[in-house]
Amino acid sequence: MSEQQHEYAICTRALNREFTVRLKAEGLIASLRNFFAPASRTVNAVNDLELLIRPGDIVGFLGPNGAGKTTTLKMLSGLLVPTSGSIEVLGYTPFNRDHAFLKSISLVMGQKQNLWWDLPPIETFAIHRRIYGLSDSEYNTRVKELIDMLEIADCLETQTRKLSLGQRMRCELAVSLLHQPQILFLDEPTIGLDILMQKKIREFLLDYHRRFKPTILLTSHYMDDVAALAQRVIVIDHGNKVFDGHLSDLTQKLHPEKIMSIVLNNGEFECKLADGCRLIHREGLHYRFLVNRSRVPEMAAKLYATGNIADLTIEDPPLEDLIGQLFTSGRQKPE
Amino acid sequence: MSSMFKSDGKFAVLLAYFKIIMTYRGMMIIHAIRLLLLPMVLASAWLSIEKTANNPYSDSDYLLYYLLVPVIMNLTDSRIVFKFSLAVKDGSLNRDLLKPFPPLMGYFLESIAGNSMQLFYLVPFTFIFWYFVSDRVMLGHLEPSLLLFFVAAIIIGGLARLMVSGAIALLSFWIEDVTTLNLILNGGIWALLGGMIVPVATFPDKIRYIAELLPYRYMLSFPIEIFSGRLSSPEIYRGFATAAFWIILFAIIMRVIWKTGLKTYTAYGG
Repeated sequence: MSEQQHEYAICTRALNREFTVRLKAEGLIASLRNFFAPASRTVNAVNDLELLIRPGDIVGFLGPNGAGKTTTLKMLSGLLVPTSGSIEVLGYTPFNRDHAFLKSISLVMGQKQNLWWDLPPIETFAIHRRIYGLSDSEYNTRVKELIDMLEIADCLETQTRKLSLGQRMRCELAVSLLHQPQILFLDEPTIGLDILMQKKIREFLLDYHRRFKPTILLTSHYMDDVAALAQRVIVIDHGNKVFDGHLSDLTQKLHPEKIMSIVLNNGEFECKLADGCRLIHREGLHYRFLVNRSRVPEMAAKLYATGNIADLTIEDPPLEDLIGQLFTSGRQKPE
Repeated sequence: MSSMFKSDGKFAVLLAYFKIIMTYRGMMIIHAIRLLLLPMVLASAWLSIEKTANNPYSDSDYLLYYLLVPVIMNLTDSRIVFKFSLAVKDGSLNRDLLKPFPPLMGYFLESIAGNSMQLFYLVPFTFIFWYFVSDRVMLGHLEPSLLLFFVAAIIIGGLARLMVSGAIALLSFWIEDVTTLNLILNGGIWALLGGMIVPVATFPDKIRYIAELLPYRYMLSFPIEIFSGRLSSPEIYRGFATAAFWIILFAIIMRVIWKTGLKTYTAYGG
């Protein structure tokens, strides 16, 4: 069915998922009451979610804890049955779990999703090869490529449970990509890793995407991941989509100012600030301003005109701050 | 046929389970001791007490029976309840559901691997035990056809145990802890009606009739009764038919529970 090219790799309409959550107040009486009449409430983890993602796109899927990101990924990969609404992934209905569909996707969620914990990664690769029906040449070529790209040659024969977090994550990625999935769901792929390893994983994913063009849906609490990998972001909160668009649009809508940092050669800062600019920090010869985006060129010209500028940088506010702002300032909808 | 078995990964998964079991040698030995100990205690008890006049089992029969109980127990054992309920609780079932591979097949293959590996110590144990009691156990009746039925009965018994255990295991979709239910249905009742504590043939007639109708006898006592030469051909065929009925019935029950359970599965954890 799905050999044909679809306009959207992922398409959901009015997607909902409810969970029933058991409740129990503190204390013995409450426990007793709960024993005879268990209390529960229904939580809408995902609410009327519409997703349209084209083949080959990398999309950042953002939201605070409990926003419904992982629930959505689980529905998209066929682990969870939606309460209502429709999902199509590569033309398949995920929860039917057709083998052709499962051969076209990979879900990376932590470091225990695909690796056999009691065996070395190379054994998992061999099992994976048989399950996914890879030919000798496909297997040999891909294993070699992935080993080289992820630099995992030295840990292939060590029992998985004895590998470091970073080694396991890289091996997990390797096994998840061995069958060259058309869609890759990445749930916090760099969580718990040190900065160097995070960077390596990001670079690998970018390189892999450049070469094989899979559709990638990525959740991460590390905004560096999102900024490095995804051009488009979808933000959900309490199961509702609150933003869907280009990362720079999100930045612009949430924060219409840029941060301008300067270092003076010497002396005091003597320059009239343009309208919409304000000083937010000063330390010695270092100054930081918030500058309205439309005023950035004017302000930069003014600063250079003073002839006392040793260095000048202009940047967006940190993405973490923006997302934090999105979720704390009245759940505003920037769309 | 064999290429089909290889191409979709079943053989690779079966081999993986063998490799895992070999990784944990100590665990295997401890598990073996646990399973060997109880039948030895029961054999000693039955040999030391005075038999009633209408007991069809002589000391020699008890010796052969309890020589074979550990063998059959181990070869038909299943850990699917423990494994599957854990997989539902810690979310590792997710991994199986995301593979283009039948998710319950892994548990079946794991049982085959685990039970086959038991032969490593069951064979020497049985021969050592046999060496000490050979002068008291009669095996003159054994014919190739009887041995064939014996092997088939072990396979059928293993399947029956796996299916009943599997149905209990799948209740993990709704019940937080199925191990107690398993202890009742697949532990206590199995030990009693399967013939571990008392050989089924020595039951009072009415209880024996019930035991012959239920699946438990076929998981333990039936193969031993065949090996002992205590069953006629019609009784053997009837036994296989009854066991097959239970296997098919529980396969259907498992399928229904699986389909319904997946819809309620919340896929917690990674």
